Amino acid sequence: MAIDDETIDVLIGGYLSKDAAIEDYESVLGCGGYLHGAVVVTKDLEGHLEVQQTDHMVREGAAGLGAVGLVVGLFAPPLFAATAIGAVIGAGAGKLLHHRTAEKLEEQAGATIPIGGAGLIVAYPHSAAAKVEPAVTRAVTRAVGEAEGHHVQALKGAITDAQTKLAKQQH
Amino acid sequence: MSGPDRTKLPIRRPAFGGTVARTLDGCQPDWAQIDHPHPPVGAPNVLVVLIDDAGFGNPSTFGGPIDTPNFTRIAERGLRYNRFHLTALCSPTRAALLTGRNSHTVGFGSVGEFSNGFPGYTALLPHDCAPLPRILRENGYSTAAFGKWHLTPDGQQGPAGPLDRWPNAWGFDHFYGFLGGGASQWDPCLAENQKIIGTDPAFYDEDNPYYLPDAMADKTIQWLHGVRAQDATKPFFVYFATGCSHAPHHVADSWAQKYKGRFDQGWDRMREEVFARQQELGVVPADAELTVRNDAFPAWDDVPDRLKPYYARQMEVYAGFSENADHNVGRVIDAIEELGELDNTLVIWIWGDNGASMEGSLTGSFNELTMQNGIPLTDEMQLQLAERYGGMDAWGGAMMDPHYSAAWAWAGNTPFQWGKQVGSHLGGTRNPMVIHWPDRITDNGGLRSQFTHVTDLAPTILDVCGIPAPDEVDGIPQEPLHGATFADSFSDAGAPERHTQQYFESVGNRAMYKDGWWLAMRTERIPWVLTPAALQPYAPGVWNPDDDPTELYYLPDDFSQAHDLAAEHPEKVEELRALFWSEAEKYKVLPLLATLGVFFGIAPPLPEVSTFEFRGDVENVLSGMVPRIYNHSYTISADLVIPEDGAEGVIVAEADHLGGFSLFVDGGRLTHTYSMMGVFVFRQQATEPLPTGEVTVRMEFAADAPKPATGGEVTLFVDDKPVGSGRIDHTVPIRFSGYAGLDIGRDNGGVVDLSYADRRPFPFTGTVKKVVFDVRPHLALEDEHAVHLAGQHGQAVHAVSN
Repeated sequence: MAIDDETIDVLIGGYLSKDAAIEDYESVLGCGGYLHGAVVVTKDLEGHLEVQQTDHMVREGAAGLGAVGLVVGLFAPPLFAATAIGAVIGAGAGKLLHHRTAEKLEEQAGATIPIGGAGLIVAYPHSAAAKVEPAVTRAVTRAVGEAEGHHVQALKGAITDAQTKLAKQQH
Repeated sequence: MSGPDRTKLPIRRPAFGGTVARTLDGCQPDWAQIDHPHPPVGAPNVLVVLIDDAGFGNPSTFGGPIDTPNFTRIAERGLRYNRFHLTALCSPTRAALLTGRNSHTVGFGSVGEFSNGFPGYTALLPHDCAPLPRILRENGYSTAAFGKWHLTPDGQQGPAGPLDRWPNAWGFDHFYGFLGGGASQWDPCLAENQKIIGTDPAFYDEDNPYYLPDAMADKTIQWLHGVRAQDATKPFFVYFATGCSHAPHHVADSWAQKYKGRFDQGWDRMREEVFARQQELGVVPADAELTVRNDAFPAWDDVPDRLKPYYARQMEVYAGFSENADHNVGRVIDAIEELGELDNTLVIWIWGDNGASMEGSLTGSFNELTMQNGIPLTDEMQLQLAERYGGMDAWGGAMMDPHYSAAWAWAGNTPFQWGKQVGSHLGGTRNPMVIHWPDRITDNGGLRSQFTHVTDLAPTILDVCGIPAPDEVDGIPQEPLHGATFADSFSDAGAPERHTQQYFESVGNRAMYKDGWWLAMRTERIPWVLTPAALQPYAPGVWNPDDDPTELYYLPDDFSQAHDLAAEHPEKVEELRALFWSEAEKYKVLPLLATLGVFFGIAPPLPEVSTFEFRGDVENVLSGMVPRIYNHSYTISADLVIPEDGAEGVIVAEADHLGGFSLFVDGGRLTHTYSMMGVFVFRQQATEPLPTGEVTVRMEFAADAPKPATGGEVTLFVDDKPVGSGRIDHTVPIRFSGYAGLDIGRDNGGVVDLSYADRRPFPFTGTVKKVVFDVRPHLALEDEHAVHLAGQHGQAVHAVSN
């Protein structure tokens, strides 16, 4: 199947551990769905980056996947810090608290794979989504992008779409 | 023969009974002048054991799933007490135990970290409430405490003190343990007497690593041997307060492995199993009912199958940790037996100080401080973070600071509702107690069901020792003890109840007990939830405590609090509610929720000092004493001397890889690592090597805004020249650690940056002349107030989680 024959989906998953990412990566490889490619990027506690990818990349010339070393929006926990609580309560109680602590906490941005974290990117024809997507069970953040067109162009478009969706999840 | 007057302490030296002349000619010495006070003849040794954060349904001695053979052997040769009560928080229970007075009266309405300006919440023991160890010491006992303390305010835990609220000043001749509410069991920041001694050298021995529970038993036995080597008969009072089973749940895997598969049935089924055993043992009456699960806790059946092993392992580790505590208490008891003194030693062993702790939230955590810092992590995230630091097999090891799910804690409090912090119900206020004293107790294995309370322990101990509670100590008239002796129950199963009335209050949750009736007044806030929505109903002017839901129980007929009788007895509800208010006023409980006052704008004055200077030999600064770098911009600078051949090592580091920072030199380059609770790790490194000679380095954190958990930019400087930079997306809003300290010139114990773990403590090979923190650069006054208040909020959160 040529990848410019249909819509391409790209799933990006973010993880807090290498184990979880590898588990999903292997699960995807074994899901029975056709893959254009899959790559898992992990960063150990000393900051060393490691990349594993399927040979689909070579087969399909999907170099765009392997080049994506940093995945946008891996994980950005909303820090509902208790330190901000008093402002909200105090406001309700009519207490004098400075307005800056009463501001809603800004969403935190996470632009790169953190130390100790991992990311998974899988590209597949839209028709394989029903098999591929259920195989990804452990991602703490995930988004699926899609695009049509010539295969490289579609692949990049789908990655961009997925990254955009991940970024939106954080706002 | 009348003895000395023990009602006024110290005991007065007797009048000189000899004769004195100008020379020795004809003189008669009085040898009593150089004697010391002796306790009354026959006064026994006393060993008080207090387990931490454990529930009524935990130990097998009371039907629980955790094997406690030593607790059981003591019970089988002594007595089980199944209606023993305490407060629903750590420090208050300890204060009440050691003073014989209600915790609020002695300043411990809350925990030691949270010292505020209301009399019941100062965390400062009043001088008119001399504690039990002081009384015993003044009456001729050797006294010692081992393990958890938690009765010294956070800001007084350094060499400048003041030291008058440290264990020695409470009356203990000797102390070995930790001052805070919790400690790593592998790497505690230790205190011994009046000094913080930090990490034990054995921490670095990978073949035979340090383990606090083992060390506590070793030190206790050594101390007993030392006392006996000097004096064969002087009675001792030992207070053995384990860090177990408080988080972090640290234990060697071999202990956890004993429970492999034993919790696969989940918490709901476990409760049923425990309840059946409790009734079989008779520690729960046959007509009692198992209370139902509150919706705050998930059903085990609703837990996804793939996560059940994650949850089960949490409880396996907790169980192994707890059994290890039983083992080490057993070693101490064996040592007393080997001395031939067990028959004349009153052993009081309490399994838990406030019920089991639900502070792990529903998910449990690889790092208990993530909850206190308000980081919402799902169970899947927690599992992945556990995998990052070694996997679930390492849960319990030194790489994590784990806490189990609140649902396990609830099950550990079987057959009751709720747990720690919930002073309105028995899950947080009734724990197993065993008393062993062969010289006086002959009803081996007997059960006692008198209503007893933690304030009764000191009066009981003094009673059996023949020592009166003093009415004056150091010339200060004393507050009478609030508890009552129950010593007659040692020999009489039908001894009358003397403790017929008692208030309870913890974090706003309150109860009033009188003659079997128990009025429960629980705030509806879930203990592990401190969100605005959860707290807003309790704001000043909003909360009317009398509007809280009430439940009424009659305990003689309803052991577990399964049947709410409030609707049937409204007059009893009103009677007990009114009694609570009068007791609350009498014992300094008011204002309610003083513990959380800071959330409502009641904060201490702004600190006057914002720069802190540390010379190069300062280490083991406890976490509550470390400059607060949270939620705003700050700088850390250091004056160094770099030898000709260069230098490497840590300049300054706080805490460890699960939350902390380190400024260090590696490969000749200045490096800064910041661990956001082990969830995120940020590292910045200089692009050029350090020069030699006299060098000043600096890291600047420019916060995006003075606000909780702010991100910001880090810049590294060498002699005022920027040499590196990077971003920290998330910072820690409240506290890196409750128990790991700050070091200059090294990173003691667990390290912040694991890249130098193989060189720990990675001492600096040049010279650190001084390190300076400036924690208030560039703040407008209004921002300063805001950040100060935010810091106090965090302190409160930390406080109610210990």
